[in-house]
Amino acid sequence: MKTGIRVKRIPGILVAIGLTLGLLSACATTAPEKVPTVVPTGQGTVVFLEKYEFKPPPQGWIMMKNLEGGDFELGFMRFEKGDFPSQTTFIYDDQPYGSSQDLEKRSDYYCTKFLFNSGIDLEIKKRERLTINGREALAIYMEGQNQITKEKAKSKVYLVKKGSRIISFVCTQWRPLSASFSQEPFDHFEAFVRSFKFVKKDFYESFEEELKKIGL
Amino acid sequence: MEAHNRELYLYERLNARVVGVSMDDPITNKHFAESLDLHFPLLSNPLPWMGLRYGAYSHKPPFLPDGSPMWFGRRTVIIDKNGIVRYIKDGSPDVKEILSFLLTLEKEFRGIK
Repeated sequence: MKTGIRVKRIPGILVAIGLTLGLLSACATTAPEKVPTVVPTGQGTVVFLEKYEFKPPPQGWIMMKNLEGGDFELGFMRFEKGDFPSQTTFIYDDQPYGSSQDLEKRSDYYCTKFLFNSGIDLEIKKRERLTINGREALAIYMEGQNQITKEKAKSKVYLVKKGSRIISFVCTQWRPLSASFSQEPFDHFEAFVRSFKFVKKDFYESFEEELKKIGL
Repeated sequence: MEAHNRELYLYERLNARVVGVSMDDPITNKHFAESLDLHFPLLSNPLPWMGLRYGAYSHKPPFLPDGSPMWFGRRTVIIDKNGIVRYIKDGSPDVKEILSFLLTLEKEFRGIK
């Protein structure tokens, strides 16, 4: 069911908002929202919709926001030099594939679904336990290719425990079979993840509080 | 389906139960449910009177090129404890909206404003 821009195949309308860093730093937004989309903090980070603070990638990356409220919360993408498909996308997703609240079990399921529709034959290169911003996490490194479409992909996924839920950060780089992967986009992804902060309680934290208020 | 599966622990706290309905046969549904590791029932309704009664399938234009009805509708319906349909939404389920609506229903049931 997931189609579209090639981090996850995303259904429905996905709107890429072409905000470059120049626009970010100018605190500009084209979306008719009451809350400004991004606000620079003056310390190299921005606050997104008054919800998340993070270090954005440099100029040349396009910011993406899913207006349907579905498959991911926010992300960035960049088309790169070279034949199709030469692009890198990274996202923050508060509802990654699967339902298990256990990191290992969730990752097993996640990897069976990830890039499923792309036809890429992904191989898990490495999985490692770590902490991300003080939270228990699992990093998954994947690479794969499709000999028919002559393209390949390299992904790094962080599944992160947040309360009773699991959230994710995902970076995927696409290249033609004949081209090489590049590290630089992954460095921007790493900076994004390591700087990512929750400015206020997320939906589920607020919802838990509401449930407790009525004794559930 | 997967999104509902992820929220089951919250649905249960809200005294809500999830039932999926599909036109596929039971064997196909069983395989589908296993592939998604679903933890709620998936009903087979090939005829498909449930989809028609709940308005999930369109028997009005646009039809498919061969003139047959669109059988690919996707609709979320919430039925309250009195059997009254309280929520209908087409397309991919918005689980946050559904959770918020279920909370409202539960508060209403308990007489909480």
